[in-house]
Amino acid sequence: MNHQFEICLALGVVVPLISFAILVFFGANPPFGKPRAAYLAFAAIATSCVLSSYVLINWYGLSVAERTELTENAFRYHWADFGNISIDVGVKLDSLTVIMYFMVTFIASCIHAFSIGYMSGHSDEVGGKCKYHRFFAYFGLFSFSMLGLVISSSLLFLFIFWELVGLCSYLLIGFYFHEKYASDAGMKAFITNRVGDFGFIVGLALVVLYTGTFDLDAAAASFAEQYHTGTGIFAESISLFGWHVSGMTLATLMGIGLFCGAMGKSAQFPLHVWLPDAMAGPTPVSALIHAATMVAAGVYLVARVFRLLTPDAQMFIAVIGCITLTITALIAIVQTDIKKILAYSTLSQLGYMVFGMGVGAWTAALFHLMTHAFFKAMLFLGSGQVIEGCHHEKNIMKMGGLSRKMPWTGRTFLVGVLAIAGFGIPWLHIGDIKFGLGGFFSKDEILAVAYERAFNMGGDGHGESHESGGTHGENEDHAAPVHGDGHAMANVAEGVQLASADTNASALLAAQSAMASSESGDAHHAEHGRADKMKIAGTLPSLPKWMFWLPIFIAYVTPFYMMRCYWLTFRGTPRDHHVHDHAHEIPWMWVPLVILAVGTLVCSYMLFRPMIADAGGVATHAAGIVAIDGEAHSWEDTSGQVMLTVTHGSGMDNPHNALALIVGFSWLIGMGLAWLIYRNGPALAGRIKDSVPGLALVHHALEQKLYFDHVYNYALVGGTKAFGKLMGAADGVLDFVVDAVAYLFRGIGVFAGRQLDMGVEKRDIGLVDNIANFLAWITYMTGTGLRRPQNGRIRTYVLLTAGAAGIALLFVLFWPHSSDAAEVLSATAQP
Amino acid sequence: MLATIGLQHYLILSALIFSLGVLCMATKRNAIGILIGVELVLNSANINLVGFSKYQTGKGDGQIFAVFVILLAAAEAALAIAIFMNFYNNVRTIDVDRGDELRG
Repeated sequence: MNHQFEICLALGVVVPLISFAILVFFGANPPFGKPRAAYLAFAAIATSCVLSSYVLINWYGLSVAERTELTENAFRYHWADFGNISIDVGVKLDSLTVIMYFMVTFIASCIHAFSIGYMSGHSDEVGGKCKYHRFFAYFGLFSFSMLGLVISSSLLFLFIFWELVGLCSYLLIGFYFHEKYASDAGMKAFITNRVGDFGFIVGLALVVLYTGTFDLDAAAASFAEQYHTGTGIFAESISLFGWHVSGMTLATLMGIGLFCGAMGKSAQFPLHVWLPDAMAGPTPVSALIHAATMVAAGVYLVARVFRLLTPDAQMFIAVIGCITLTITALIAIVQTDIKKILAYSTLSQLGYMVFGMGVGAWTAALFHLMTHAFFKAMLFLGSGQVIEGCHHEKNIMKMGGLSRKMPWTGRTFLVGVLAIAGFGIPWLHIGDIKFGLGGFFSKDEILAVAYERAFNMGGDGHGESHESGGTHGENEDHAAPVHGDGHAMANVAEGVQLASADTNASALLAAQSAMASSESGDAHHAEHGRADKMKIAGTLPSLPKWMFWLPIFIAYVTPFYMMRCYWLTFRGTPRDHHVHDHAHEIPWMWVPLVILAVGTLVCSYMLFRPMIADAGGVATHAAGIVAIDGEAHSWEDTSGQVMLTVTHGSGMDNPHNALALIVGFSWLIGMGLAWLIYRNGPALAGRIKDSVPGLALVHHALEQKLYFDHVYNYALVGGTKAFGKLMGAADGVLDFVVDAVAYLFRGIGVFAGRQLDMGVEKRDIGLVDNIANFLAWITYMTGTGLRRPQNGRIRTYVLLTAGAAGIALLFVLFWPHSSDAAEVLSATAQP
Repeated sequence: MLATIGLQHYLILSALIFSLGVLCMATKRNAIGILIGVELVLNSANINLVGFSKYQTGKGDGQIFAVFVILLAAAEAALAIAIFMNFYNNVRTIDVDRGDELRG
């Protein structure tokens, strides 16, 4: 078997680690020092990027069957055995890994390049303690951990790298550790993540307990088997604190536990509070770790363990995502710090991804992850450029009109704003080419799935379908799973490919026919596909209506706050002349911005139908991940239960006219509204706030971030402190006891000392002293006595020896009961 | 009338030589004299060994021991004379009473 892909990917993981090892030990001094340390880090990540490009291009040069074979035959190194659990190390080689790996290395390379310039003005503070090389060393460690997380084939290693990226995040948030806010933010991020990771560990323990393996695929297969046969975790029935837990509930808890990890890392409600504070780190860190890659790791984790999630767990995930995306988008409206706005928008977009995962839009959520990574990294680098150019000014209220001073930053920022706003024109297409940026398609895909789940699911057939869903061998009856997706015809095309490659999946064949029919406009077949879909739909609980309308509402809010941010920063008249006069664009630092902007534009073109149908280009497959690797449909394949139910025809043409009407022009309306309000600066917004009753109150609440920090501060931090005080009091009691014992013994000691030993200053020798002195006296006298014979004269020694010998002889001869020697002597005397 | 020479004659001779050797060691101040005394003591022991060998065991083991003692005495004499040389180098005499620097 050819293992070249795995070797390339593993090599790409190790190279940044080597760069870290070199920089952390030798980075401060020649031959590295200030600019060259960064070159080494950049060279390392660029090497990884080249390797991943090689893998990406060759991977998509293979046919689907060949890819599947490579995935199944990936190399596993047997590392250790814990009891019956064997732990293998290996690369999870599939399209998701390949595309994610490429995304991480590509964006990391751009951000490394940006940081070379950016950090030269932001390091060497506090007597050179915030060292330039330290930043790049941490970046190397982060790249290593993040890539390791992406390629891990086992949950255990995924967890290890998970913690490592958390560590890097902590180190880099607190890069300016001499500032209290930065070190506090680092600790806040770390501790909040601990809360989530606790759930992760519980989930991990449940997975290992019931499936007996850490391996992602083996665990999923075992889990599906257990669901299917009603054994293992599903046969479990335990009583916990008087609360009866059925097997299904336990499986749900397992899924929620795993998701808790994602809640921490992807900063989902209620653990979202750390991410805005994490902006205390240098801006490239915010771009790489807290926007593009690490925070997306949570979504990636959910994608990886998707097959271990029960419908209830998915619903939980969807609710959490929905809450997060709503509240954070609302908070983003009132922020004035440019990085905080972007942080809250990141939270909101992460909420979209998690929501997408929860409603079963696996592909769409990951696609959104990819597009978001590009444009959010670019937006953050743009904000870094602005902050750097304006001498560390972050308040957008003091900016305005910057696009004249920094034209490239302004242009790329606008591209990012359009992308995140979901710029696109529904219905308009030239041939098969449709107009829109990545955010337009990915967001609409998620919303389309939510739409189907909320409106097109029959509640009546629920029980019946569920019955059949649990029965083996009836796949034909309820089979038409299709992976999410409104406008992404990607999945149609890929679904066809997969189905032809995998003849076992009758479900997929049915899906294919449904797709094909809707594509071809054949009414009869389309009806058939529709009927199939309705039948399956019953197996999943239908989505509450508010969980569809809230994301729709936020789709209007997002363009609003992004346009507000853009306009107040780059357009209009300068509001602070001091800031404006000094603003400048740093030469060459906009190059990574332009590269990322091109990436953002290309990302959207990935969806173009011809490219996908040909399956030729690299880009096409970003959208087709799911269909290629069957990650998302395996649940229904193996267990008969359908997770992904939504059938969409050709994007906006088919069942999504309604959706396109609802949300298709949200970018225009949101941005237009923001332009109307903010085109002359923030004054009008202030007047609106004061004139509309109640709005000021809402504004204040949002400005205070809906009081999450206050509540946590009082309830958790205050509670912990109170608990600490309580423990301190208990400690006082313990101390008292210990001290009392100590005093007692000290008293006894003093008393005994008085009696036995009067001490030196009293000139009154006690018992102990007497004994000691007596011993000393004996020793002294013995020594003195023995000294006499040692006079150094040989004759004395000889005489003494002779005398001793004589005495010994007399002793032998005349001692009664004498020894044999005397007898021998006397015997020989008279022979 | 001279009696047959028996073991006790050997022992008496040995005792005499031993006593003379000890007396020599005890009285001489010259290092060489002391060495001669030592040799006398050693050889008196040799006579004992040879005597007992002849009259008691009847084998040659005592004589072999005597040869060993002679050998060791030679080595010891070589060492002793080397020590005397150094002693002379340090104090310009071989009067052993002068070598009492390490007395107690």
